[in-house]
Amino acid sequence: EIGISKEEALEALQVVRQECRGDATRTAGAPGTSRKCTALELLEQEQAQGFIITFCSALDNILGGGVQLTKITEICGAPGVGKTQLCMQLAVDVQIPECFGGLAGEAVFIDTEGSFMVERVVDIATACVQHCQLIAEADQEEDHLKALETFSLENILSHIYYFRCRDYIELLAQVYLLPDFLSEHSKVRLVVIDGIAFPFRHDFEDLSLRTRLLNGLAQQLIIIANDHKAAVVLTNQMTTRIGQSQSTLVPALGESWGHAATVRLIFHWDNNQRLATLYKSPSQKESTIPYHVTPHGFRDVQLPAVTQKPEGTEMNPRKRPRREEEK
Amino acid sequence: MAAKKLRRARLSQELCERLSRHQITTCQDFLCLSLLDLMKVTGQSYCNVQKLLCKVSLACAPKMQTAYEMTVRRAVNPSSAFLSTSLHSLDEVLHGGVPCGSLTEITSPPGCGKTQFCIMMSVLATLPISMGGLDGAVIYIDTESAFSAERLIEVAGNRFPAYFDSNEKLFSMTRNIYLYRELTCGSVLKRIKSLEEEIISKKVKLIIIDSVASVVRKEFDTKLQGNLTERSNFLARGASLLKYLAEEFSIPV
Repeated sequence: EIGISKEEALEALQVVRQECRGDATRTAGAPGTSRKCTALELLEQEQAQGFIITFCSALDNILGGGVQLTKITEICGAPGVGKTQLCMQLAVDVQIPECFGGLAGEAVFIDTEGSFMVERVVDIATACVQHCQLIAEADQEEDHLKALETFSLENILSHIYYFRCRDYIELLAQVYLLPDFLSEHSKVRLVVIDGIAFPFRHDFEDLSLRTRLLNGLAQQLIIIANDHKAAVVLTNQMTTRIGQSQSTLVPALGESWGHAATVRLIFHWDNNQRLATLYKSPSQKESTIPYHVTPHGFRDVQLPAVTQKPEGTEMNPRKRPRREEEK
Repeated sequence: MAAKKLRRARLSQELCERLSRHQITTCQDFLCLSLLDLMKVTGQSYCNVQKLLCKVSLACAPKMQTAYEMTVRRAVNPSSAFLSTSLHSLDEVLHGGVPCGSLTEITSPPGCGKTQFCIMMSVLATLPISMGGLDGAVIYIDTESAFSAERLIEVAGNRFPAYFDSNEKLFSMTRNIYLYRELTCGSVLKRIKSLEEEIISKKVKLIIIDSVASVVRKEFDTKLQGNLTERSNFLARGASLLKYLAEEFSIPV
């Protein structure tokens, strides 16, 4: 419009932009500058990235190696199906030393439902340590034995940071404080929020506020996952959607929340067998596998004919929601 | 925690006054607003608002504890972790007994023995710690009027004859069990809300609600559309209150 060519206009813009950028660095405010990198760099990053194994090889297979870092994974399921069990298993697994194939990281466990049982974590951790010890004895390598010295029960337990949030305000406050916490404890590789639906489901009259808060929460978690290279695992509840002729179980918190998680796993029952379905994933295809919850934690189903029924290891008392009132 | 006043979160005085002009007085109101709203209301820059957010969040956020500290605490005081049911195999499956600090739900078709189990747990809770009890009072909220005091005495006398050898011991045990008969959902909720004071004053160590389903089924007919949400609201509110009581006072419910 002014009558100069496009290149001259571009030059003028760039000069102005540089002035602004100088100002921005002086105020030193918001973190997280815009990230640009080529897809090749991303590929290298992703290939070098680790996974958090779940000790159930079928589940690891369908997830493409395990729970991915820098991504939000959502686990939905009916009560009592094993979501908190998997979360506790992951909190222990993230601490496995690198020579055994783990990440040697720490875990943050944010509990909104109160179903975190320390005794159960002790069981899972003991089984994990035993498993690693067996591997070390079989291989007899130097670094394995050295790593085992630090991978003890007390160490595992002291690296699980537990927060108990009673309502959604505490949850919001905790998530606002998480970036600072993660900067202090830079070895944290896993953030578990057990029961993201619980504080938002009951007694919430203003649905638009709920959607806004949830979206804000999701954004923050994505930022945390990316900045600190941590995996974020959320557990969600199921709700009944009443259709024309039948009702189906769908993940709670509505459709808009479904966009928050990158990877979605749905746990459900089929007669007596627990199944996990990979419902949404950018890189893996949809599939279903059976799994077990044993006294040692989350495991594969034993294939031989002598199938042990899923043990009654439901340590966590679950309160069934309004649907099944068996009396 | 959420209803904490902003002034107590150590924000400056003029800021608090400015916020209260917009009717933002508690941490809850503050954290519910988006960043842009906060910037408009406080008139501060982006970075300052973020710092304010952190300060307010610090006031509301829960304390951190590592899992290790929790195990240590439980190990030091083993009776504070579980209430043994005195049925050996059940205790094994439950990893020690009914857990203190959480809600445990017992369901079954009618006539299987739920109320009997509750009566048994009441007796167990009043026993001294040396015998595996909790040495405390019991609050029993009965919605079906199925609690029989005679049965209570019968169970106590037959199960622990050595302890309850005198009538006085039996009576003191029964004095420790507070029975409330509630027949509607509203009164159950009101009763749960009033429990906090009673727990502290009477040194209650066990809360039993027998049963949740009967009141709810009586009052809320699921065929009517609106009732479903009301019912779930009532249940959820009751559940969160009970969870809070269980965790705050470390007692089984």
